[in-house]
Amino acid sequence: MEKNMMALFHYEDDFIAAATKLKESGFDRMCCMSPIAIHEVQKVAGLGKSPVRRFSLIGAILGGLSGFALATICALVFILPTGGRAIIAVPPFLVIAYEMTILFGVLATLLGFHIVSGLPAWHDKPYRVETNIDRFSLVLGFGPDDDPSLAEEIMRAAGAEEITELEKPE
Amino acid sequence: MAEYREPSYAEVNRDILRTLLETGPRYWILLGFTSTIAVVCFFVPWMYQLNVGVGASGMNRNAVWGTYLSNFIFWIGLSHSGTLLSAVLHITQSSWRKAIYRSAEAMTLFSLMTAGCFVMVHLGRVWFVHWSVPIPNEMGLWPNFRSPLLFDVMAIATYLTASSIFIYMGSVPDYAAVRDASTGMRRRLYTIFSFGWRGTEREWHTLGWAYTFFAVFVIPLAVSVHSIVSWDFAMSLVPGMHHTIFAPYFVCGAIFSGTAGIVTLMYLLRRFMKLERYIGEIHLDNLGKLLLVLSLIWSYINILELFTGWYSGSSFEYEALKFKLFGYYAPLYWEMILFCAFVPLLMFWKKIRLNWNIMLVIAILINIGMFTERFIIIATSLPRKFLPDAFGFYFPSMVEISITVGSFAIFTTLFLIFIKWTPCVSIYEVKETLQPLRRRAV
Repeated sequence: MEKNMMALFHYEDDFIAAATKLKESGFDRMCCMSPIAIHEVQKVAGLGKSPVRRFSLIGAILGGLSGFALATICALVFILPTGGRAIIAVPPFLVIAYEMTILFGVLATLLGFHIVSGLPAWHDKPYRVETNIDRFSLVLGFGPDDDPSLAEEIMRAAGAEEITELEKPE
Repeated sequence: MAEYREPSYAEVNRDILRTLLETGPRYWILLGFTSTIAVVCFFVPWMYQLNVGVGASGMNRNAVWGTYLSNFIFWIGLSHSGTLLSAVLHITQSSWRKAIYRSAEAMTLFSLMTAGCFVMVHLGRVWFVHWSVPIPNEMGLWPNFRSPLLFDVMAIATYLTASSIFIYMGSVPDYAAVRDASTGMRRRLYTIFSFGWRGTEREWHTLGWAYTFFAVFVIPLAVSVHSIVSWDFAMSLVPGMHHTIFAPYFVCGAIFSGTAGIVTLMYLLRRFMKLERYIGEIHLDNLGKLLLVLSLIWSYINILELFTGWYSGSSFEYEALKFKLFGYYAPLYWEMILFCAFVPLLMFWKKIRLNWNIMLVIAILINIGMFTERFIIIATSLPRKFLPDAFGFYFPSMVEISITVGSFAIFTTLFLIFIKWTPCVSIYEVKETLQPLRRRAV
C-alpha cells in the first residue's frame, strides 16, 4: 500500500523550513495545512497567480454582454416608442449591463474558487483538528523512488513535534 | 488597570467559538422578544393592510410614496457601509478591519433583507411582485429597462447576491473551526457549510485571490446601488427631488448611516458577547474618524443641495426648498442637521472618540437624523409638486409606524440568529493580526 506521512509543527518558521527543504529534496506530493494563510508556503508549493482571475474576467465580460442583450432583446420584442426616445437606449441599458457584469463576475469567481480549490471535498482526507487552531502540518505522499526515512529526517531536523504514518492517501 | 496580553491562537478559537456554542437564557429571551415584536408589529399590520388595502397606510394622492419608501432607503443605506467598508479595507490591507468586518457584512445582508420586506409591503398587491423581475415579455408584461425602478431591482438583487457570497466565502475557514469544535448534528451541518475545508496551501491561496476579486466587484457595486436608489427620486421631475447631486448625496449618506450602524453593533457585541479583547479602542477611534469625515462630506453636499434649489431659477424648486427649511416639516429638517452635521463634530476630540458610551449615543443620533432625512425627502416633495390646489400633507398611519418599529425587530432577530450561526468575529483573520507563531523573531 502507498505510504503517507503527516508531520505536526508548533512553529510556523519550522514548518516553512521543512516544506522548503522537502521541496528541494524532490518531495513533490506535499500538502501543507495551517490555521492562517502563509505566503511563503504558497511560494514553496509553486502557487503564483491564481486561475480564479480568468473566471472573474470571463464572467464579467459575459455578464456585461448578457445584460445589454437582455435589455435590448426585451425592447425589440415589445417595441414601445415613448416620447421619441430610442428603442435601444444605450445609457440606461448600460446600467443594466453594469449590474450584470458584476453579478456574473461574482458568480464566476465563486465557481472558479470551487474548481481551483477542489472544494467541496467532503470525502475523508488526512486532517488534524489542531491545524485549524495553532499547529501546522505537512502531509507527504511517497512515490516508489522516494525515501520516507529521508523525509522523516528532514522534518525532525526542522522541528516537527510529531510524525505519524497514514493509511489514507492525500 | 490590568495589563493587556495578546491572546494566543487557541484562545482566539475558544473566545470566539464560545459566542456560538454557549447560549444562555438571556439570548433566548431576547430572541423570543424580538421575534414576537417582529410578528406583532410588522407581519400582523401588514396582513391587515393586505386585507383592507393600501388605504390602511397614510399614503394617498399626491403622497403616493410614504414611510415604506423612507424605510426602504434607510435600510438600503444602512446596508451600505458593511460590505463596502470591508471590501475597501481589504483592498487597502487595513488590519484593523479584521475584528469587525464579519458583523458589518452581516449588517449589510440583514439590512438588505429588511429593505426587501418594505418593497413587498409598499407594493400593495405583493402576489404580483414577480412582475418587477426582469423576465422576458410573457403575459404582455413589459419590463421597462429605461426605468430606474428596474435598475433598482437589478442592483439590489446583485448586491444581495454579492454580499451573501462575500460574507459566506470569508466565513468558510471559520465554519471549519466550528465543525472541529462541535459534535452530532451541528458537526454534520458545519461539515457541509465548510465544504470540507482543511486549510491547505491551495485552499488559502484560492480563497485569497477569490476574496480579493469579490472585494473588487463589491466596491463599484455598492456605489452603484445607492446611486440607483437616488435615481428613483432624481429622475422624476418632482421639485426637491430632481437634483443631479442626489447620487453622491445618497451614497455619502448611506455610508454615513451604515458606519454609525457598525458603531452601534460593535458596542453591543463587545458588551454582550464579551469581545473586549478583540473589539478595542483602535476600532472605535478609526470608525469615529471615518464618521467625522463622512459627516463633513454629508454637510457639504447638503449645503450644495440648498444652493442648487436657490439658484435653480425655478419657482417650484424655490418653493420646495422654502417649504423644507421653514415649512411644516422644518423642525424635522433642523433636527436632521443638528444630529448629522453638528453632533458628529464632537468626534474631533479623541477623548470622545474613545468613549464607547458617548460614541453609541452619537451613532444612534446620526441614524435618527438619517432616518429623518429619508422621511423629509419624500414628505416635503411628493405631496407638494406643482399645482398649489393639489398640495397636501403626508402623515404616517399607525399601520406604517407599527411596521417601521417591526422592521427593527426583524433586523435584530436576523442578527441574533446570525451570531449563533456564524462566528461574529473572523477567527482566522484575527489570528493574522497577532504575533506569528515563530521560534525565531522575524
